[in-house]
Parts: sequence; structure tokens; C-alpha cells
Amino acid sequence: MAAADLRAELDSLLLQLLWDLEELESKRVALNARVEEGWLSLSKARYAMGAKSVGPLQYASRMEPQVCVCTSEAQNGLQKFRVVRAGAQSPEEVGPREAALRRRKGLTRIPEPEVFSASPNPLNWFGILVPHSLRQAQASFQEETLKLQMVLEMKPQMEATDSFFLGLLVAHL
Amino acid sequence: MLGSAELCFNVDHGYLEGLVRGCKAGLLTQQDYLNLVQCETLEDLKVHLQTTDYGNFLANQTNPLTVSKIDTEMRRKLCGEFEYFRNHSLEPLSTFFTYMTCGYMIDNVILLVSGALQKKSVRDLLGRCHPLGRFSEMEAVNIADTPSDLFHAVLVETPLAPFFQDCMSENTLDELNIEVLRNKLYKSYLEAFYNFCKDHGDVTAEIMCPILEFEADRRAFIITLNSFGTELSKDAREALYPTCGQLYPEGLRLLAQAEDFEQMKRVVDHYGVYKPLFEAVGDGSGGKSLEDVFYEHEVKMNVLAFTRQFHCGVFYAYTKLREQEMRNIVWIAECISQRHRTKINSYIPIP
Repeated sequence: MAAADLRAELDSLLLQLLWDLEELESKRVALNARVEEGWLSLSKARYAMGAKSVGPLQYASRMEPQVCVCTSEAQNGLQKFRVVRAGAQSPEEVGPREAALRRRKGLTRIPEPEVFSASPNPLNWFGILVPHSLRQAQASFQEETLKLQMVLEMKPQMEATDSFFLGLLVAHL
Repeated sequence: MLGSAELCFNVDHGYLEGLVRGCKAGLLTQQDYLNLVQCETLEDLKVHLQTTDYGNFLANQTNPLTVSKIDTEMRRKLCGEFEYFRNHSLEPLSTFFTYMTCGYMIDNVILLVSGALQKKSVRDLLGRCHPLGRFSEMEAVNIADTPSDLFHAVLVETPLAPFFQDCMSENTLDELNIEVLRNKLYKSYLEAFYNFCKDHGDVTAEIMCPILEFEADRRAFIITLNSFGTELSKDAREALYPTCGQLYPEGLRLLAQAEDFEQMKRVVDHYGVYKPLFEAVGDGSGGKSLEDVFYEHEVKMNVLAFTRQFHCGVFYAYTKLREQEMRNIVWIAECISQRHRTKINSYIPIP
């Protein structure tokens, strides 16, 4: 009976793994489609604005990212990935970062705490009056970062299921 | 009774008109485009272009071949032809050519000023400027902080000087002000070019004035469409519209108040030329964009310019048709390099 239970568990783990693999594959296809769509929209923008109007000349060599991928380790030892947008703050972080004094009189002032400002819209690198295709490209790439988060979340989970399955299989053998 | 154009044009400009008509016959045919869209790689594209008037224009390019290199070499070839026409021209055709180059000069000035904002090196920027818009004071453009500085220090001796009348301000050149400067310069330039052609009279005015009227109206439509959802106010938008088109004055006033594409469509209901163009615009990502529809209309007008003789408009029309051909080739090259062939046939053939 114990062997039968083990086989049933192995089967269910394998099925789970295959379902997860199918879902991961479909998310990857959707992610690639968004990326391709974004690049094609950039080509359309070049068609409308001129080939040299949408390229490396329009943006600075060094820039602050608007989206970062942060890694951490969860309680179960799994690697956890998080897509964080610039400007996103947890409720505990909102408010004055450090104490600062202001003098009412006198010429000197202690610098006030740095106020966080919203990062500039990258669309403005190409001008204010940009065509719809460039906005579409931005939307595609932004959607892509959301889908990236879903793919990143699935992978460690699948790897854990896979190791558990292999462990059980070896134990059964 | 023959007009003066038929009697006098060929004396000074007949050779160049013959030359430009020969160049026009060398534009890519439908069969050439069918060959290009079947290419699997950019190297295949290069081989097919060698059989056309482009010849070995990519022979000196090192591997790997990129879309940007193809575009740069095509521009260089066009510039070579244009400079030949210009160097052999007499008045008033030579002034006509100067007017044609002003549009490219404005683009170069804006590229240099925007590049300075992004801390790009002047050398990199100069390498990417349009060759048709080169002028000797270009290297000094990035030292200016305001439009007023730009005019007094750099552009006062260039052909762009007369177009700075409405652009003088002490505002720092940030992204919004650069966009306003670009459009105001272009507005002044287009109106001046239009007046030059109108004063010239004859067949040149009959051909060029409708073309420039369409260009003015197109700019008004595109500025309006692209300004939705931006920080540009309605009054600021209206100040950018060129006034030498069919929309002036009532159409421009209505367009300035439009808040979405549907309201723009209601404005063009009063204009028989533009109504079918707006009806041809697709909805969503599948159909044609407004820019595509305008490019198609521009191609039709430029092809029709060649049905008349003894006018300067053939040179303008040829340059614009060549530019459309370059856009087509770059589009096909982008689809090939991205392996995204579903939209590869979205080019505009030139009959």
C-alpha cells in the first residue's frame, strides 16, 4: 500500500510538473510576443519619425533603471524574484527619512531631507510630440516586465517540485 | 500662346530636368520590391539591391551589415545626387534647392541641441546629422542654452536666420522647449518656402503650392494627434500650426480645440481632400496609421508632379519619392533582421 501511495504521489507530482511546464511555456511565448511587438513598434516609430530619430543618440549612455529585479531567499530556501518599479515605496518607508532642523533666522540652512521625485518618462527623450507607435512600444515593454515577473515566480517553484519528485523517485528505487 | 516657363525654363534648367527624370526612372519597381521581401537576411537584401540603381553602394561596409548602415549609405547616395543638381543649378532653381535643404538643417539643429541635453559628444552627433542639412556652423550649436543664444551666436549667418522671428526666447532649452522650437522653425520655413513658390508663379507654383499646402495641413494633423495626453496646451499647439495650408484659418481653429481622434475626424468632414484619407485609417494595430495614409497621398502628389514639364517641382518630388523608397527599404530590412515577416508588405510602392 505504501508503494501504491508513493506511485500515486509520484504520478501527481509529475502531472503537476507537466502542467507547470505548459503554463511556463505559454507565458514565455506571451513574453516573447510582447518583446517582438515592442521592437516592431519601434521600427514603425522610425518609419514615421526618421531612422535616426529613434536610436542611441536620443538617450544618455548612463541612466537610472525604472524597473529592477530583486532577489531574496524565502523561508523554504527557494530563490525569490521580485520586479520592483522605481518610486515604489512600502508604507513604512513613506515619511521623512532623517531628522532635519530648519532655522527661522540667519543665512545658513541645514539641507532638507531629499524629496523623492518621479523618474522622467523615457518617451520624452525622443521629443514631446511622439507618434502613437512609440507609445505602443513603451506599453509593450512595460507589459513585458509584468509577464517577466510571472515567469520568474514560476521557475523556482518548478525547480523545487522537480527536486522533490527526483528525491521521491530515488527513494522509491 | 505659350507661357514663359515653356519658352525659358530649358535655357537654364533643361539639362537638370532631363537628368532628374532619368533618376526618377531608376526608382525601384514592384518587381524589385517583390524580390526584396523574399530575402532571408540583410546580405541577400544587399545582393538584390546591387541589381538596381543602388549598385555597389554597400561595398565598403564591414560585416555585420546593419539596418542603420544601409540607411546611412542610401542617404549618402541621395545627397550625392542632390549636390550634383545643386552645384549645376542657376537661379531661381539654386534658391529653390536652398529652401529644400532648410528642412534638413532644422532637423540637424534639433538633433544637436537634444544630443547636448543628453551629454552626447559633438563628434557622434555630427556623424549622424543628415548630409543634406549640413552647414559650417553646426559644431557650435551645442554651446547655446536658449533659442536667443542659438540665434545670435550660431545661426544668424545661416539660411535658417529668417525663420527665427517667432522663436526668440530666453527659456532654457529643455525637452518641451526644443519641441516647440522645432515646430516653430518648421512652420516659418514652410510658410517662407510656400511664398517663394507662389511668387515664382508659372508651373512651379501650380505644382508646388498644393504639395506644400498638404505638407502644412499634414503637420497640423500630426501635431494635434501626437499632442493628446502631453503637457502641450491647446494654445501652444495652435501656435505651431503652419498657416499656408487649406485648413487655414477655420480648420486650424477647430483642430486646435480637438481632444481626440474622433473630434479631428469631425473637423475634416468639411474638407473633401482629407475626409477619405481619415476614413482609410484603420482602428487598432491591424490597419494603416494616419502617417501611412499621409505618406501614400504624398507619393501620389509627387508622382503627378512628373506629368508636367518646365518647373522646379520635379526636383522636390524626386527627393521625396527617393526618401519614401528609403523608408520602404529600411522597413523591409527591419522586418528581415527582426524575423517578423507578417508586416513586411506594409511599404508604399511608387508607381
